[in-house]
Amino acid sequence: MTRHFLYPSTMYASIQASEVTTILGSCVAVCLWDRTLGIGGINHYMLPTWNGMELASPKYGNIAIERLVEKMLQLGSKQSNLVAKVFGGGEVIAFSSNIMHIGQRNIMVAEEMLEERRIPIIGRSTGGNSGRKIIYNTKTGEVLQAYIKSNMSK
Amino acid sequence: MEDIQAQNLSDAVLLSEISGRIEKYRMAVENLNSLNKQLLELNQKLTESEAMKSHFISNITNEIINPFASILGLSKSIVECPETDVARMKRMASMIHGEAFNLDFQFKNIFAAAEIEAGEIQPNISVVNIDELLSSLFSQYARELERKNLTKVLTNLEGGDSPILFRTDSDKLTVIMSNLLCNAINFNRKGKKVEISYGRNENGELVINVIDEGMGISEENLNIIYDRFKRLDNGINSVNRGHGLGLSINKAYIDLLEGRLEVKSKENEGSTFTVIIPESAQQNNDYSEEGNEVFFGDEEIF
Repeated sequence: MTRHFLYPSTMYASIQASEVTTILGSCVAVCLWDRTLGIGGINHYMLPTWNGMELASPKYGNIAIERLVEKMLQLGSKQSNLVAKVFGGGEVIAFSSNIMHIGQRNIMVAEEMLEERRIPIIGRSTGGNSGRKIIYNTKTGEVLQAYIKSNMSK
Repeated sequence: MEDIQAQNLSDAVLLSEISGRIEKYRMAVENLNSLNKQLLELNQKLTESEAMKSHFISNITNEIINPFASILGLSKSIVECPETDVARMKRMASMIHGEAFNLDFQFKNIFAAAEIEAGEIQPNISVVNIDELLSSLFSQYARELERKNLTKVLTNLEGGDSPILFRTDSDKLTVIMSNLLCNAINFNRKGKKVEISYGRNENGELVINVIDEGMGISEENLNIIYDRFKRLDNGINSVNRGHGLGLSINKAYIDLLEGRLEVKSKENEGSTFTVIIPESAQQNNDYSEEGNEVFFGDEEIF
């Protein structure tokens, strides 16, 4: 079993059975799992959509999800066999602004894009005020989650 | 469809037949709509994919074609140069070196950008001798500094004799500092100076300042310097090189190392770029300490 720590703005997908750990604050991680092949991938994005200026990286939800789906297809999955689990999008403290909070917007991008691609969300833990640590098993599709009580930075 | 003699049918049979045909047409239209929708979706996907690819291509085109053209021209001139004119050949060889050095720098940035856009960067932590990293960098750029007659100043703010040893990613820090130094040289004015000062702050974070005495950055422009396509001096006669790619790579690398970048600038007086990086906890593995504990007790299974 390969173990991998997923940093923010990066993604990971493999045919090898892997245990991927990542830590989420207002960031969101989408876990994709192919139940027929027993393989999976996961991303970790910080902002909902690419601003067109900085590098077009998976720091942005729309790019992260698009790329992750692409990667799964490259590994041999059929889109119709994919299911998703979504985590994160908690609220950072002390923001009073009229714009919807980053966490919420990150969650919405995941919901919209997965629905567009008809990938069902079969598990989720999103929102709230805590950070999360998750461990995703790409072979079984199972995700372990624990809340982090300390202050959120990611 | 068989032709049915209308006269011999009852109303009920006729209605049933018409109903059937309407239903068939309705299904055909529905299929057509569905196919149309799929076509639009596919088109949208192709457009997005093309757009993403062309970003990479636009990142590289100009910065590669121009230096190569120069190198081809210069090397041809050397071949055609009279054998006795060694001075001239040396001059041209030196210019070729300058172009190749610049190309090398651009390539490093382009590969870094590709890696970042693929979401495949990882910190590679080791104990780094900061004094050595920075002085070695200044040496590499000696010719560039000379070309603009710039004085270089390197200051370890902690004084003393011992170098600063800091746990961080050596390669990425080198790229970050190269990009800042390159900008400090390019946007500087002839005969001025480039200063790099560094040390640790009260939080134990590494602070590195890169100070130039160039044209500076106006308030409005402070925001667009991270745009990977924009550089502030776009004129045809501009002698400056480099583009926003360096700063957007820096941003991604600094984020990865959980640091931050601060810019202070006054138009026509110069700029100070400050990199602040916390010391990394782990050493040389891709598994952070936080990721190492096993859950027990309060974890949920999804």
